[in-house]
Amino acid sequence: METAATEPLELAAGVRAVLDELLEGDPGGLELSVIPGGASRETWLVEVADAGGGERRWALRRDPKGSVSLVPIRDEYALVGRAADAGVPVPEPLAFEPDGGRFGSPGMLMSFVEGTSVPPRILRKPEYEGARERLMPQLAEALARIHSIDPADLAGALPAPEGDPALLQTEEWERQLDAIGEPLPAVELGLRWLRANAPEPAETGLVHGDFRLGNFIVDENGLAAVIDWELAHLGDPAEDIGWLCIRSWRFGSDDRPVAGVGGLDDFIAAYEAAGGDAVDRERIRYWEAFGNVKWAIICARQAHDHRTAVRRSHELASLGRRVCEPEWDLLQLVR
Amino acid sequence: MQDRPDAAELLEAVAEYLFAELRPEVPHEQRFKVLVAANVCAVVARELQAGEAPDREDFELFSELLGESATPPDEPDALAERARESAAELARRLRSGELDDRIDELTPRLAEHVRRKLEVARPGYADGR
Repeated sequence: METAATEPLELAAGVRAVLDELLEGDPGGLELSVIPGGASRETWLVEVADAGGGERRWALRRDPKGSVSLVPIRDEYALVGRAADAGVPVPEPLAFEPDGGRFGSPGMLMSFVEGTSVPPRILRKPEYEGARERLMPQLAEALARIHSIDPADLAGALPAPEGDPALLQTEEWERQLDAIGEPLPAVELGLRWLRANAPEPAETGLVHGDFRLGNFIVDENGLAAVIDWELAHLGDPAEDIGWLCIRSWRFGSDDRPVAGVGGLDDFIAAYEAAGGDAVDRERIRYWEAFGNVKWAIICARQAHDHRTAVRRSHELASLGRRVCEPEWDLLQLVR
Repeated sequence: MQDRPDAAELLEAVAEYLFAELRPEVPHEQRFKVLVAANVCAVVARELQAGEAPDREDFELFSELLGESATPPDEPDALAERARESAAELARRLRSGELDDRIDELTPRLAEHVRRKLEVARPGYADGR
């Protein structure tokens, strides 16, 4: 993105002013660099040498100029704060700046969490062997805590669903697909199946919306932080478990259906032990089918963003040819 | 006529270079992008090798599911366009709900179409690899 290349000096000055207030003292000259990854929001690493010869680090997350996302970053800031209160490991939210503020576009400054979020490293590197053993129960506990947050506490940040959460989500992704205009009969079949097979409406809870490998910062001790809350919404908490189980998030470790690190029985036992509501398998299957529909549409949308020059990138372009992976998994689940 | 290597062979050569030679040489944060580039070349190479057969088979499948007896055009671009049009018509009819009582029948048939896409985009995926 152009903003990443042309604005770092201005942005560094803005971040420095915000840190000056937070730290009650000028942090000095800052180094800013883009952390690659983030599909729709920019993430910057903010670094400064401290007096003791070490480094202090923060993470800045902000909207690219002119972008529109599902959860405004002001609400993401509030949400992450609530999650921290509920005991979910998250980067500590430190400051928010609105559009035209000291971060340029709307953005939030957070503590920097050491570790990696890169799935193949987490799943295969020897240094994360211990982390892999701990990760599954840690994910179950973090998710149970997210789902324990009272939706009433989020009323300002997230709208309450007006109707059946499963049907509302299905409608939302039908709209997303319509905005792309790509003919995907397998996805359309999935959308009809989701309409016909919606489970009884569950008690509304906070849904992270993108709870999967790639959005977890992991260190040698396992889960260090849950990040990327921009798809959060109020709905059926089982949606997060179904999403976590889709094959795309196993990154090749298909013998372990939960995020490539564990089995579903163990995950459910750990989730329920951590205070999560009793889990119904059919409901998980429903949301896994939904997850495949959603991921197929996201892939198509990213490719569409490339084709329409919203954001030119061979990575986004290539996702257009990955639509068929969740389509395949979807058709296996609903048959 | 162009001289050899043909288009698919050229792309394979680029994919091999990107994957085996360039990828280990670039900074860590660029490696994934190089891997993606190598994969894209390999996908396009397989698409060229597959020729028009997948479009023809998809066109015939969609026409059958729509209950239409249409003759596929010979010209490859026209064929690809007709396959897309029939996919769009099938998508439209599914969305409208008029095929709701045929979901069980359509599921394995659409899996045939998706399998053809996977054979180009991600060989082995449909067989659990």
